[in-house]
Amino acid sequence: MKPIHILFWLAVCSPLLALIPSSQDPAQDPSNYDWAKEVDRASSSPRYAIRLAAAKRIALGGGAPVPALRAFVAKRGKNELPAGIVETIAEQTSLDAPLLTLLQEWATDLDFYWRAQALRGLANRAPLLPIGQQQPLRELFAERHTDPAWLVRVFARLGSARLGNGNVLGEVEEDPRATSKLTALLLRSGQLPPLQPLLDALADERTFLDSPWGQSRAREASLALKDWLAADYPIHDGEAAPDKAAAIAAIVAAAAKKSGQTLQVPALVETSEQAFTGGFEILSCRTGDLFVRWNVTGEVQFGLDGRTKVQLPGPVWEGLSKERATLPLSRDLGVVICDNLRLRWGPPDVHIKVAPNAMPETVANWFLHLAKAIAEADQPRLTEALRTGLEQFGPR
Amino acid sequence: MLAAVRALPSTLLIGLLALPGTDPEKTSFSVLASFDYTEGMTLPKEVTNLDEKVVVISGFMRREVPGSNPVNTFLLVSDGCGCSGMPKLNELAFCTLPDDVTMDIKPGIVNVTGKLYVGEEKEDGVVVMLYQIDADDVK
Repeated sequence: MKPIHILFWLAVCSPLLALIPSSQDPAQDPSNYDWAKEVDRASSSPRYAIRLAAAKRIALGGGAPVPALRAFVAKRGKNELPAGIVETIAEQTSLDAPLLTLLQEWATDLDFYWRAQALRGLANRAPLLPIGQQQPLRELFAERHTDPAWLVRVFARLGSARLGNGNVLGEVEEDPRATSKLTALLLRSGQLPPLQPLLDALADERTFLDSPWGQSRAREASLALKDWLAADYPIHDGEAAPDKAAAIAAIVAAAAKKSGQTLQVPALVETSEQAFTGGFEILSCRTGDLFVRWNVTGEVQFGLDGRTKVQLPGPVWEGLSKERATLPLSRDLGVVICDNLRLRWGPPDVHIKVAPNAMPETVANWFLHLAKAIAEADQPRLTEALRTGLEQFGPR
Repeated sequence: MLAAVRALPSTLLIGLLALPGTDPEKTSFSVLASFDYTEGMTLPKEVTNLDEKVVVISGFMRREVPGSNPVNTFLLVSDGCGCSGMPKLNELAFCTLPDDVTMDIKPGIVNVTGKLYVGEEKEDGVVVMLYQIDADDVK
């Protein structure tokens, strides 16, 4: 064969080589992939990035890994399934029937840690489904608009919005994180919601017991606006950023111009942590978050932004403070996977996390006394929120 | 001497090991996570400018694997809420304490000081790290 012929066949065959499925790429050949090994790697590898990469491969496999996922859950339990798997599946748009069924099972399982992420997966897929398959999802989303878990509310409303319900942004929402996250998600999905909540989030520097939740909102808002404004984003890579207030004003101007909306430049908002002497937070993927903090006089504030306040009588607060000072809390209690209770107060200085079923009885009793004091202050809704939130942390 | 040093509380020991005379550059996840990361991309200049600089950055400590023992390595992540999912590679830094130093995972926000290394590091073709910190101080 002459060299010219070899070159000819090479030129013809080389592009065809790319069409041969690779056994290493699940997106190319999902049926022959060892999904059990991949699920094991995504859950058990000691390296974070290996777990992340395996989760991505599973997500790209569509419905093919579902039997392996079900086998894993049957053997190890549903809450041993790492968030990364559910989250990366949520980000993909495979409409394979076994996967859709699994996502619906997860999203409606109140005991599953990652039901919000499963709901996100359904919200992303809903507009791609035939009309007949959308109706049950409409109902599934609508039933969760007032779920106690804020991420579930957000993804349920996102799903409804993506199926044409434009009223979701008008619903009552007490958690500032939910409003800005939903707006960011809608913007990223190609809709143009009222942008003011995102711009307000840019100026949020509030904290809760030193946890910078305002900064998290700001970062999410900034990323969504940067992506949407693209070349119109006023701060370019490598340029020196102006001071924060000037940067926000420039972003507001660019967003107003592009959207045609009348937008206000927000004032920076902060929290004075010195005003508080203690508090606790419950982060629960299942029953929702609860934020409680107090000052030296016994004013107890509920909510991330302290929107509900209860003043306890002096003697009651004094008794609670004395009892609290005797509690045996020197280190973390239990192994936290998802839901946890963070306690922070002084004196004596306490800053620990508590896993479900790991709270000593004396501490559980103190919380019962706090709940009783809140009830006597005529706040039954807050008392109920306390009891519901704390229930899973008490001793078995 | 070494035995005495090992007997010190780990947080104090880490403080003693902080580099003298360095003036760490303050940075944050608002910078490190200010872009949508995709594998192989050119990282923004404000991020690559931090490579091999001694920085101070705040975040939440998280174990790389579940457990309850003191750690020599940990993840510093931008968000404290485990419910909000698995951080992307540009939303976390892999922190390593000095040899023989371990500490408990602290709840709430911490400030980490140390040399930051920026760039994709691969193992078996998989990007396993984007940001690494040789942590000298954790407060």
